[in-house]
Amino acid sequence: MESTKSLKKFIIIFVNVIIMAAILVFVVLYTRFESRDSFRRQIENFENTTITMERVTANYLEGEQRICDVWAQYINGREMSVKEAAEYIRASHVLEHTSAHVIELDSLTGLSTRPRLGTTDDYAVSYERLNLLNDVKWIDEIGKSVNITRAYTNPMNGEQSLAFCNKVFLYDKVSGAKKAAVLLRVIPISELEKKWVFPQTELVNAEISMIDANGDYILKGYGFKNSSFFEFYKSYNATDPESSRKLFDSITSSTGFVSMTDSHGQECILAYTPVTDTDGWTMLGLVPSKDLIIKKENRALFIVVSAGLLILFISDLIYVLYFNKRLQITARKAESANKAKTDFLSTMSHDIRTPMNAIIGLTAIAEKNTADEESTKESLRKISLAGNHLLTLINDILDISKVESGKLKLSPLTFSIVETVENLVNISQPMIKEKNIEFSFHINQFEKEYLYTDQLRLNQIYINILSNAVKYTEPGGSVSVDLREERSDVQGSIRLIYVVSDTGIGMSPEFMETMYTPFSRQVDSRVNSIQGTGLGLAITKQMVELLGGTIDCQSEQGKGTTFTVALDIPLADRQRDDMKLDPIDVLIVDDDETMLNTAVDTLSSLGATVEQATGGLEALGMIEHRHQSGKDYNVIIVDWKMPEIDGLETIRRIRSVIETKIPILLISAYDWSDIEDKAKAAGANGFVSKPLFRSTLYDKINNLTGKESGSGEPEEDYSDLKGLNILVAEDNDINWEIISAMLSMFGITTERAENGRICVDMISSAEEGRYALVFMDVQMPEMNGLDATRAIRKLDNPWAASIPIVAMTADAFSENITACLDAGMNGHIAKPVDIKLVIKEIRRIKEERR
Amino acid sequence: MKKILCLLLSAVMMLSLASCNAGKKGASDKAFKPSMDTSASGNIKIGGGYENFEALEAEFERFNVYYPNVKLVYTKIDDYNNMIGTVLNGNDAPDIYVNYSWMYGREQYKASIDHAENLADPSLGLDLKCIRSNIILKTDDGTLPMVPVFANTYGMLVNQTLFEKEGLKVPTTYKDLVKVCSAFREKGYKNPLMGFTKKETTSIFTLTVYPFFCESVANNAEAVKKLNSLDASAGEYMRPSLEKIKQFTSDGCFDINSCNEIENNYDAVIMRFFKGDVPMMTCSGDTVSGTKKRESRSEEFIANPFKYTFVPVPFSDEGAVFLDMPNLQFSVNKDSKNLKMANEFMRFLITQRELSEMAQNKGLVSPTKDLSFNSMYAAFGKIPEKRIFSPEVIGITDDAVIQLRQASYRVATGQMTIDEAVASYGKLEQ
Repeated sequence: MESTKSLKKFIIIFVNVIIMAAILVFVVLYTRFESRDSFRRQIENFENTTITMERVTANYLEGEQRICDVWAQYINGREMSVKEAAEYIRASHVLEHTSAHVIELDSLTGLSTRPRLGTTDDYAVSYERLNLLNDVKWIDEIGKSVNITRAYTNPMNGEQSLAFCNKVFLYDKVSGAKKAAVLLRVIPISELEKKWVFPQTELVNAEISMIDANGDYILKGYGFKNSSFFEFYKSYNATDPESSRKLFDSITSSTGFVSMTDSHGQECILAYTPVTDTDGWTMLGLVPSKDLIIKKENRALFIVVSAGLLILFISDLIYVLYFNKRLQITARKAESANKAKTDFLSTMSHDIRTPMNAIIGLTAIAEKNTADEESTKESLRKISLAGNHLLTLINDILDISKVESGKLKLSPLTFSIVETVENLVNISQPMIKEKNIEFSFHINQFEKEYLYTDQLRLNQIYINILSNAVKYTEPGGSVSVDLREERSDVQGSIRLIYVVSDTGIGMSPEFMETMYTPFSRQVDSRVNSIQGTGLGLAITKQMVELLGGTIDCQSEQGKGTTFTVALDIPLADRQRDDMKLDPIDVLIVDDDETMLNTAVDTLSSLGATVEQATGGLEALGMIEHRHQSGKDYNVIIVDWKMPEIDGLETIRRIRSVIETKIPILLISAYDWSDIEDKAKAAGANGFVSKPLFRSTLYDKINNLTGKESGSGEPEEDYSDLKGLNILVAEDNDINWEIISAMLSMFGITTERAENGRICVDMISSAEEGRYALVFMDVQMPEMNGLDATRAIRKLDNPWAASIPIVAMTADAFSENITACLDAGMNGHIAKPVDIKLVIKEIRRIKEERR
Repeated sequence: MKKILCLLLSAVMMLSLASCNAGKKGASDKAFKPSMDTSASGNIKIGGGYENFEALEAEFERFNVYYPNVKLVYTKIDDYNNMIGTVLNGNDAPDIYVNYSWMYGREQYKASIDHAENLADPSLGLDLKCIRSNIILKTDDGTLPMVPVFANTYGMLVNQTLFEKEGLKVPTTYKDLVKVCSAFREKGYKNPLMGFTKKETTSIFTLTVYPFFCESVANNAEAVKKLNSLDASAGEYMRPSLEKIKQFTSDGCFDINSCNEIENNYDAVIMRFFKGDVPMMTCSGDTVSGTKKRESRSEEFIANPFKYTFVPVPFSDEGAVFLDMPNLQFSVNKDSKNLKMANEFMRFLITQRELSEMAQNKGLVSPTKDLSFNSMYAAFGKIPEKRIFSPEVIGITDDAVIQLRQASYRVATGQMTIDEAVASYGKLEQ
């Protein structure tokens, strides 16, 4: 597999390299093609220039020849002697550097129009030793062609010269004899060279020569060597006689170019073209090839393209590698997610089927044992437990799902921390009791009761941690909770420190690394026997972070675990009015020193004079002493669980031995209902659960001392609910039946609206005061609960428009709650409904309406 | 053991490399060092009588290695000997020109000597010591208007392939020559030795007897003086030479009729030699210089190429004589506008290496002391110094030489007897 990947990678790189190489080859070939094309154009240009030079040269030669022709015609028409001819030309000849010679062919001597160098009157000139005029067949008739000599040394001044010639006839004035002669218009080559250069500056190294049909130079450029061009060519270019003959034929008969090597060994371009009106002469242009190559910085182009491709290749490679890595990570994640999904489904299947099995099985048992009331009750109790577990599981799943999808949002509202703690204790009590765990709950320095945050999430955090502690602490162990208020760095907030310590099974360091991962549960035979989804801590961690707090865990396997959650929670605008008790003496009895100190501080802050006893016997002594001195305590607060004698025995003795009727409050961290009867029988006047909140103590003491307190609520007395009529908007028949039946147990009558529309109609048509409130389902046909609420709030009837509406819906997320409140509802109860919460909510609404 | 051997070999290689480098350094020390700005540009115009001067062009290209922007303009001057004076006085005067030492003291060539710079001036830095002293010819006042760049001599082309084929050795004495000719003839070679015979100039007779004659009068100032004065009595000084040429004709070394078929003393001589059936062909160094080019023109030579070389003709039993004559001499125009660059070129040229190189390219004898550079003339380098003679050093004039040429030609061709020729000295005309 790995080798296949490497092979694929190699193939990709190889293909890329091939493509790069192909591009570079293309660039090189293209630039070479361009260079070649440019070079070809330059050669054509050079060839054309040579042709132009030929035209210019031909015109020049023709012009010079015409002058010579005119002279010759004149001489021939006048029967002149050599002297007369020379004088005639001398008279008409004005150019400074040129001269004319009139040479009699019989003697090859004659006269020059200019005197011999270094003399003033010696005009005699001889061509005897020049081998130039020995044969004059090449001189054509006047006007027929250009008759030009080879370059030769002017015998009069030694200058290398050319001469345009014409045959003339001269006459001996004495004998009258007619003599054949040649008229030469002699032009120094130096004069010609001044004019005879290539016009273009880029052809500065180009040279021209003119050769006759035999290849001999008539005019010779510097770069042309030997006396014959053909010899020159053969000297420096490897060729065979046949090839060179063909080449020379081509050169002397046509226009074209050929590449050749010059005497310096450099490659040159030779352009050639026949000179018109001459006897087989050819104009040759020779230029080094490098002069015709236009440098286009191809190397720079090549380097830039190479560098560009390389950068592109490397960046692509890096990107592809990065992309591949990400893909691999994504694939791994997907794989992991898939596995997680499979694990999740497997876990869910197991975790859902287990309570469902209990529910179904126990329901079947209950159905069969309807005659046995005790058995049926037990079955129903267990069904209820299994149902609750199932509900927790579903809630957790939904929560983690929302957390992971990032859709979890906070819905802050004002709430009482007292209620939260009470709720927390209440929820955990059954398990604590069941497992016989020593439980303590300490609060400290709680000044502010009302806070502003997402209560639901806060509850979840606290309950999850506490329930874990209880769950994983074996019977006989202990769980302690410490909740304290500290100063927060955040303006307008307090810092809630929630510490839950247990003496449970603890966690291994390995598990602690992954304990916040969903569905992670410690592998432990003890753990496996405990119900759990493995989602709790994951949700808790997310919630804590969502609330901007921190969670810390200290754990040691076999010794226990301590979770510490620190949250900065904003204070609510609303706080309880200043709570002050009348001056009373209070005795508080508890073996728990921390609890004792906290309670003393709290009661003192409420204005009570507090004395404390750490045990029942000590308390009895103090009470008796007071009683005898006629200064009875106004209130005695006794903890239930104490060494020596417990709270119940202490109360019993207070009542029996001291015979005092001082109000006594029994405090316990445990469920009141279990000892309620015994406590009342012993003589307790009331019960207050730990932890002892300031407001709770204030309310309880006021109740005992006969003073009304702000938030006293009747317990187990539902008479206040009797006669209430509630409109329930519920489309589902069973749900309607359940809520209706539940409420009827408390003497509450209900009316049903099958959907939102009917609900609105019923409200709008009802007489004032017909309904105490409305329980509104949200998802209903025709008109949903939110729209119905909004419609009700818009009704003209003030009573109808302001009627309390509480959502009763399976939409249990915080945003659902927010949506409900935003629509104008006054509260929210999640399905499946807890009747206690429903009653509590009804009472809250009632209280608010009051 | 292997390791030690490797180390030793490495050490030897290192030493070899070091010595090679040292050798190169030594060579580069002797190499030409430009004394002017090497980026200098311009033309150096050189005038001469040659139609073309490829060897000079090749040499100039070597100079261009140092001065790439300096161009050579070689100009062929028509009727050179007569025109050079005019050219030097005119607007088109060359910077360097071909000169001849025989022009010394002749009024009509005065300009050619007068325009020449004294090349003996040490400040010019010419390496004159590399040239054979007997062809460095100063004027009477001790100035050196020209230096030889080529030398000339007389001798014979030898077909080495034929000698090897027939198992014969190139002769070094006259006796050997006669024997070798006889041997070749016996082997069916109709013409063991050939030469140009149509005219007396560079005829086989002149080429063979002139060195012999120079040897005979070299140390006889009186004789030279008389010969130069064309005094009739000086004819006796020719007698030994004439007797030798007479013997030469009678020894059957050559067939005069066959020789008469050779049309001229240059092309025709070479082309006849390239036919490949002539073991020996007399000619001058000038003619030898044309052989290379003509190899490709000879169908026989192309079909059957052979090795050949040029050796002195052994015309006495004491051995051959190396007749050492300056062929072409260069002068620097002291009025040149490019005098510095012209002198720089001369300083570059007048060295053993460059003169040898140019002479080899031209196919002529190098004027340098060391002739081993060119295998064609290597045989002349082996001639002992006492047998090297220069007419200029001997002091024999052209007029006297003409008398000898005429006399020997006429005796050899039977137009005159030896006595008649001796008696006619001073009166023989071309």
